[in-house]
Amino acid sequence: MSTVQTAEIKQVLRAFILSSINMKNLDDDANLFESGIVNSLFAVQWMTFIEKTFGIEIGVEDLDIQNFQSVNAATAFVVKQNGDARSAKSSR
Amino acid sequence: MLDLLTPQQLDRYAQFNAFVSEKVEGHADAWDQEQRLPEAILCDLAAAGYLGSNLPTEYGGLGWDTVTFGLLSEALGRGSSSLAVTVTVQEMVAMALLKWGTSEQKSKWLPLLTKGEILGAFALTEPGAGSALESLVTEFVQRPGDECLTLRGEKKWISCAQRAGVFLVFGKLGQQPLACIVPRETPGLKIKPIRDMMGFRAAGMGQLYFDDVKIPPENVIAKPGFGLSHVATFGLQYGRISTSCSALGVVRACFEDSITYAAARKIGNQTVGELGMPRSLIARMGTDLNAGKLLCYEACRAADERHPDVFEKTLMAKYFTSKAAVSAASDAVQIRGASGCHSSSPVSRYYRDSKIMEIIEGTTQIHEQLLGKIFVNQANRLTNKAD
Repeated sequence: MSTVQTAEIKQVLRAFILSSINMKNLDDDANLFESGIVNSLFAVQWMTFIEKTFGIEIGVEDLDIQNFQSVNAATAFVVKQNGDARSAKSSR
Repeated sequence: MLDLLTPQQLDRYAQFNAFVSEKVEGHADAWDQEQRLPEAILCDLAAAGYLGSNLPTEYGGLGWDTVTFGLLSEALGRGSSSLAVTVTVQEMVAMALLKWGTSEQKSKWLPLLTKGEILGAFALTEPGAGSALESLVTEFVQRPGDECLTLRGEKKWISCAQRAGVFLVFGKLGQQPLACIVPRETPGLKIKPIRDMMGFRAAGMGQLYFDDVKIPPENVIAKPGFGLSHVATFGLQYGRISTSCSALGVVRACFEDSITYAAARKIGNQTVGELGMPRSLIARMGTDLNAGKLLCYEACRAADERHPDVFEKTLMAKYFTSKAAVSAASDAVQIRGASGCHSSSPVSRYYRDSKIMEIIEGTTQIHEQLLGKIFVNQANRLTNKAD
């Protein structure tokens, strides 16, 4: 995945968070849950947004808070999932 | 809303209403008085595929969309809230398992649920923790050398507990919320019926006691830390969709009863419908009915499209229709007068059932807190637009 694509993913994720919280700016490394930026109800909403926007199915094996705790973490998760999906496609 | 439905959804809605007309309407008051659903109606639900209807066909479901599931909930809610909530909790358990179960867990439990061989129950609420989920005290303990977890605690106000064959139970492992499956026959699980509820009287409410219940690893759902934020929230989301639509069914029941009564009942030379007060009440009921339909439809569509706004839309639908059901039921009793206060009239049942709808799956006040916060947090969207 190119640097440009990764930056675009990060931008989309950051924009979604900012459209859902009462803050003007967000550190991409800020822990969304521990810092109280979002509540636990938002966790599934955040997951649903990632699934819908990037065509990813998040399952029990992906349940690791490190995958979703910040904009940077979610970006890395999406990049990895997209890469895995491409590898699976090309190996068919 | 009917204009928004596909021909297939309309056909199925007609089937649901025919089912309710044939098998529910004439019996719901008796079920309410006996405080029990007969086995036959549960078999009928299962035979029609209505238990787990929107689960994938590979697990024995019918693969229906959420809009169709919402229509089923509405039709059942019009007939009997106790029956509707049975389908609601089945849905909550099944959808949480579908999302977060392992392939082995899904293969084992989902076909049993969809075929109606067992009923599920969602064991979240505790004597000291209703809407405040973080206050759960039910605990899982990992004892040295034991591959099983040990579960201790109490759950209260659990719909369908009297009949359920499997419970989806929530507690804490240390400080980490955790969910697990507990089959009914598990040693250490005691189930005590709760009778004489104000509403939902045939829904088999119960209290659960877990006395050192062994939970094998294969019955743990998802992972420690995700029991509330992901498993419970996911199940509750579908519970709210179903409750929104079944509350809408209560509004329709009240509306239909009120307009029929108002058109026929004479006071002197006038029908009730020609009087000012009933007209005002019916106007509000009819408008709420149509507004509720649109909110429910939006929530169900958002679920089908897996839109992240589904949570907000579902909260709005549940908030609106449960309040509208309380209002409509109160007004339907008012329009009927004394006869509406007697158990021979279904509106007295709607009046009792509707209040429960404002409490289950999050109270009206919790919905206001959540929605108020969501809306305030959307102020950035206005600023971004202005920029």
